[in-house]
Amino acid sequence: MASPVDDADRAVLELVTNGQLDALQDLYDRYRTMAYSIALRITTDPSLAEDVVQDAFLGVWRNASRYVEGRGSVKTWVLSIVHHRAVDAVRRRRPTTGLPEREDTPPPALTLPDLWQEVAGNLDREEIAGAMARLTDVQREAIELAYWAGLTQPEIAERTGAPLGTVKSRVRLGLLALRRSLLEGGTGADGTPGEGGPA
Amino acid sequence: MNERPMTHDEALELAGLFVLGALEPADEAAVREHLATCPLSHAEFEELGGVVPALLADVELVEPPAALRDRIMDAARADLAARGRAIAPPAPAAPTPFPSAIERETRRRTRPSRFDWALRIAAVIAIVVAGAGGLLLQRQLDASQRFDRAVAAVLDAAAKPGARAVILAPAEGKQGRGLAAVAPDGTVTLAMRDLPATGGTQVYTAWVIVGSTPTSLADFTVDANGIASVITHPAPTQPGAIIALTLEPNAGNMAPTGAIISTGVTPAAPPAATS
Repeated sequence: MASPVDDADRAVLELVTNGQLDALQDLYDRYRTMAYSIALRITTDPSLAEDVVQDAFLGVWRNASRYVEGRGSVKTWVLSIVHHRAVDAVRRRRPTTGLPEREDTPPPALTLPDLWQEVAGNLDREEIAGAMARLTDVQREAIELAYWAGLTQPEIAERTGAPLGTVKSRVRLGLLALRRSLLEGGTGADGTPGEGGPA
Repeated sequence: MNERPMTHDEALELAGLFVLGALEPADEAAVREHLATCPLSHAEFEELGGVVPALLADVELVEPPAALRDRIMDAARADLAARGRAIAPPAPAAPTPFPSAIERETRRRTRPSRFDWALRIAAVIAIVVAGAGGLLLQRQLDASQRFDRAVAAVLDAAAKPGARAVILAPAEGKQGRGLAAVAPDGTVTLAMRDLPATGGTQVYTAWVIVGSTPTSLADFTVDANGIASVITHPAPTQPGAIIALTLEPNAGNMAPTGAIISTGVTPAAPPAATS
């Protein structure tokens, strides 16, 4: 169910769709801290992070009409665009990495309707950090390299020395364990089969 | 990319990397193709994808520099001024003359330029009030509210110096009426209602027709509520130019190919205010 914040966000986004500059500023003020923090964690470069946030909010400005109600909150949509642009930015700094042709398409997760996204998008850092800590070291490493360092499967394999198939399994099983841990409120729920303890 | 299509099991194994955006482009494309064509369940993609928003919270919060807001707003302001130029289609080498019958029909419906600009706005408000008064169902009320917001955007644009208001009336046997504000740079802010919903690759295309030369302003889709609120990119215009909507089989056409839905004629600029 949509919260009052979600409703307010949607109203603001509709004004952005209509070309209202004040609404864009409102939306920026709502999520600037999260947006910049995400961009900074991925790029580790304050100047590049600013460029990413600017690029992302311009993307929101130009493509606000592409937001699809029912496929996640406005907050998640905006912050996912920031994440997406930040990953693209760090990949551009790595000339060996090909960039997917998805400049204006939402990140993959946004194409997937899932009511639990609403819950997941409102967790605080302590909860997610706790759940991440309960993963095995190799699962956590694989997810962090993929999500926060913007590495692709072969790059993670090269960085960690693990075969491609192992990287695939670590990420998949790690995300399943993370979901279970978050849903259960986190009491060491990592009973994921297939790959065990710390590296 | 592999020549053979990805199997269901292969796609499932890549679900985690896919939702994190960590696949190589070729693999990502193969998964997308699989998801679009495979009839089997892909619930695990949804389950894993649902975790991703939670990861966004795993950051140490850092306030951005105050100047970043000004940079973003300056860029958005510049984008608004030049909106659409980058995506504007090149001028057609040999523009297709717009059907003269349509022009005749449109001109028949048009008041002379001395028609008072303020009366046009009043007529627009009357359309809104009349439309809202008859809406009883919630869905219709929602549509009315959306149209109100769209009209408000047009009125804001029409109130700016040098802007001209245009009433769009449905073509013979068609539905779709509304209004537009044409800015001095040719940007058109459009509010339409009663438009049949688009389907498949169909789009409505807004055109400005100067003489017999149409220029595409914007492509857009419409859902079941029949409302459209559109701000186009700038295009050359002049008093007497026709603003038209056509229903096109696909986006990106350089000249109208589909049915004319609604038209209106740009009046002369309103007279300067005198004291």
